[in-house]
Amino acid sequence: MIERLLELAARRAEAADATLKSDETVTLLFESGRLKSTAWSQESGVNLRVRSGGRLGVAGSTAGDPAAVVEAALDSAAIGDAVDLLLPAPAPLPPVRTHSPAAAAASVGDLAAIGQGLVERLSRDGWQVNVTVERSAGSVRVANSRGVEAAYDVSAVSLAAEITRVSGDDVLMVSDLYAAVDLPPEPSVAALAESILRRARWAERPAPPPRGELPVLFTPAGSAALLLPLRQAFLGKAVLQGISPLGGRRGERVFDPALTLIDDPWADGVAGSRGIDDEGVPTRRLPLVEQGRVAEFVYDLETAARAGVPATGHARRSTFGKPQASYSNLRLLPGELGWDQLLARMPDGLVVDDLIGVGQGNVIGGAFSHPVALAYRVSAGEILGRVKDAAVSGNSYELLRQVAGLGRDAEWRGSLCIPPILLAGVSVTPR
Amino acid sequence: MKNRLRDAIKGSRADYTEIRLERSVTSAVSFRGPRLEGATVSTDEGGFVRCLNRGYGWGMASFTSLEGLDAMVARAHELSLAVRLDAPIRLAEVPIRQEDVLLPLGGDVRGVPLDVKKRHVESLNELMLGRDRRIVDTQTGYRDEVVEYWYGNSEETLLYELRPEVTLSAVAVAREQGTIERALESLGRRSGWEAVQGREAQFLAAADRAIALLAAPRVRGGTYPVVLDPKLAGVFVHEAFGHLSEADFVYENPEARAMMTLGRRFGGPELTIGDDGSAAALRGTLPYDDEGTPTRNTVLVQNGVLVGRLHSRETAARLGEAPTGNARALSFRHPPIVRMTNTYIANGRGSRDDLLRDIKLGIYACDAQGGQTYLEDFSFTAGHGYMIRDGQIAEMVKDVVVAGNLFQTLERIDRIAGDFQWNELGGGCGKGGQMPLPVTEGAPHVRISEALVGGSRS
Repeated sequence: MIERLLELAARRAEAADATLKSDETVTLLFESGRLKSTAWSQESGVNLRVRSGGRLGVAGSTAGDPAAVVEAALDSAAIGDAVDLLLPAPAPLPPVRTHSPAAAAASVGDLAAIGQGLVERLSRDGWQVNVTVERSAGSVRVANSRGVEAAYDVSAVSLAAEITRVSGDDVLMVSDLYAAVDLPPEPSVAALAESILRRARWAERPAPPPRGELPVLFTPAGSAALLLPLRQAFLGKAVLQGISPLGGRRGERVFDPALTLIDDPWADGVAGSRGIDDEGVPTRRLPLVEQGRVAEFVYDLETAARAGVPATGHARRSTFGKPQASYSNLRLLPGELGWDQLLARMPDGLVVDDLIGVGQGNVIGGAFSHPVALAYRVSAGEILGRVKDAAVSGNSYELLRQVAGLGRDAEWRGSLCIPPILLAGVSVTPR
Repeated sequence: MKNRLRDAIKGSRADYTEIRLERSVTSAVSFRGPRLEGATVSTDEGGFVRCLNRGYGWGMASFTSLEGLDAMVARAHELSLAVRLDAPIRLAEVPIRQEDVLLPLGGDVRGVPLDVKKRHVESLNELMLGRDRRIVDTQTGYRDEVVEYWYGNSEETLLYELRPEVTLSAVAVAREQGTIERALESLGRRSGWEAVQGREAQFLAAADRAIALLAAPRVRGGTYPVVLDPKLAGVFVHEAFGHLSEADFVYENPEARAMMTLGRRFGGPELTIGDDGSAAALRGTLPYDDEGTPTRNTVLVQNGVLVGRLHSRETAARLGEAPTGNARALSFRHPPIVRMTNTYIANGRGSRDDLLRDIKLGIYACDAQGGQTYLEDFSFTAGHGYMIRDGQIAEMVKDVVVAGNLFQTLERIDRIAGDFQWNELGGGCGKGGQMPLPVTEGAPHVRISEALVGGSRS
């Protein structure tokens, strides 16, 4: 299909590139502790980009008619923007593991046993336990009219669990996720269950909300509000648009020197890893923040061409729409403090595990203000219980300028690997 | 296609089989600043089969290749048999229908060339860019879709539908010195090309609001009487109340059921909340849901008292209530789950000014930029707001985030105006990995006697 597509496109356009992604996914849903449904899905789609008359056009389809896709891409190019886009030539690719034969071969029964095992670990009186097990296996093909022709197999396994405990009008929901190329080994399932159980224990008793500018410890799960502004600001596109607060500040010390953030597409067996991106550019490890200094930004071919810099191997394309730059796996390098040492640095404060409404509002500027979904009061280094009626607010850029402590335990959660981050002077408002 | 569907169902060995097939054409045009981001046409086709056997669970298969439909049915049947259940799944009775429903296309978008769509979107985008030198960035998006849809099940319901949808969105970004502000406008209708004509005023309003926000101070955080405009009130009722009314939240969970017991009082006698999938031409409107159940107006709260909830056939049977036509799937890639359609707070009495009159110091919160709930806790970000001083709208303020506890807040709704409107917005609702599902919300102005507003440090 992809050869035929490029061959047809080459007759009518100056350049073309395409992806063909196919996969089969099995999803098992355990509701209230019992297997409720099993779903299988098959998906195959092409995404074609052409350059015709100097203009770019894109089309995508799940229906298998190459001629119609080429026609739609040419239509799109006829009104497209002129971009001086140079497709990459074939290049050596880093060896990156994206596929696990064992995961791809796992039967519905194997997957059900994994889900059942997790359900059993989490079952408690009065808890509703929902577990989802999903395994997809497939292939990605990337090709262009300059001779790039890459194909690799992929597998992805995710295991998600959520417990809900309702008593009166009080609701506690705790969830966590495993996502990787491989089936979860037994210790990973145990760690997932323990992470949920631990947080449910911390939330067992209610605690009064503190007030004021306090030390707040953001767990890896709770750090989304802190990191989201950075995720937006390190996109080359945001820099081009002049809306990234970090644009033009390469080399500047913007964050605490303890902070090093890298995008790592080579991490072994991790969900976002790959050796080649969806535009045929080899991937590489890219430092975004090096010891507090702004390092690099992520670019796909188009934004790189506009900015006059090399593409960084971060393009993703789905069947529909044009390629977009996005992160592979983000790693904030860990510090040296154990969990208890971090707590010990908090005479009175809050552990934030989940916030409500992250991503709303004017994110890229760094300001945030969110009620807590899951947070625990800390006093004299001890967790007292769950705080419900409080909001935390601040500005990521201001807060990350000086970090009060960085945890040593950074674990992969999907394509993120982040340690606990202790920040001083976060505003906490009870309601 | 109908025959293929009918034959495949006939060939199924499962006790219950249903199949959805879809074929869609989508075009999308977007601008970022003066630059065309993309103008594309996509075609998508595929199907979904769901089988159920007595004593067993659901087996499902979805696929982008319509060849081998019989094999997909066989696979769904096998997967159902892989799940043994002690408590059998039952489906509530619904009327059996054979019908073709072609929703009005409102100017068939498939007949409008891509370059005409591009020029129209470009002219709207240029209105924002040309409004003021401080408008430094814009995002203008247009998307249309016509889905041909077939549904059949082994009870012999057989439907063919044409489902159109069009959305338009505007983001204006203004910058002055170090300050950057954004304002959003959007439109979404189950219609076509006609619906996106004459929208210039909305785009200019987005640009003007972004400029106005530059000079607006951050709201001072604290507890205030808050008047929600119909847009924010609509998002509030969807996010904070609607999701709890989805029966799949309660049907397996006795404690949640106790919290949402029919007959419980949630607010004053003025408060009536509902969900109406049969309203005319709104984004959440459909003749049938994705289980072939006719849609309808379902009252959830009547004069302050919980009287109903939203159901699929399975949750209705489990709770012994009537199905409401709220089982919806984002596309053939997904199973139907309990979702909202067009959710509303019904009209009260009086005008917005009547609600403001006796507020000495308060907040008028307008436009929803987003909202999220964590069951009974919610947080909504207003696009902008105004201080209310001595019963009058005073200066504009920004970064207005309204947060609270659902039950408390519903009780604190002390006035509802009589100026109901449907907010025909773009965007959509997310649940269970299915996003954005087209929905609409509607409400009049609503007053909350006391709510927490986040903002600058107080």
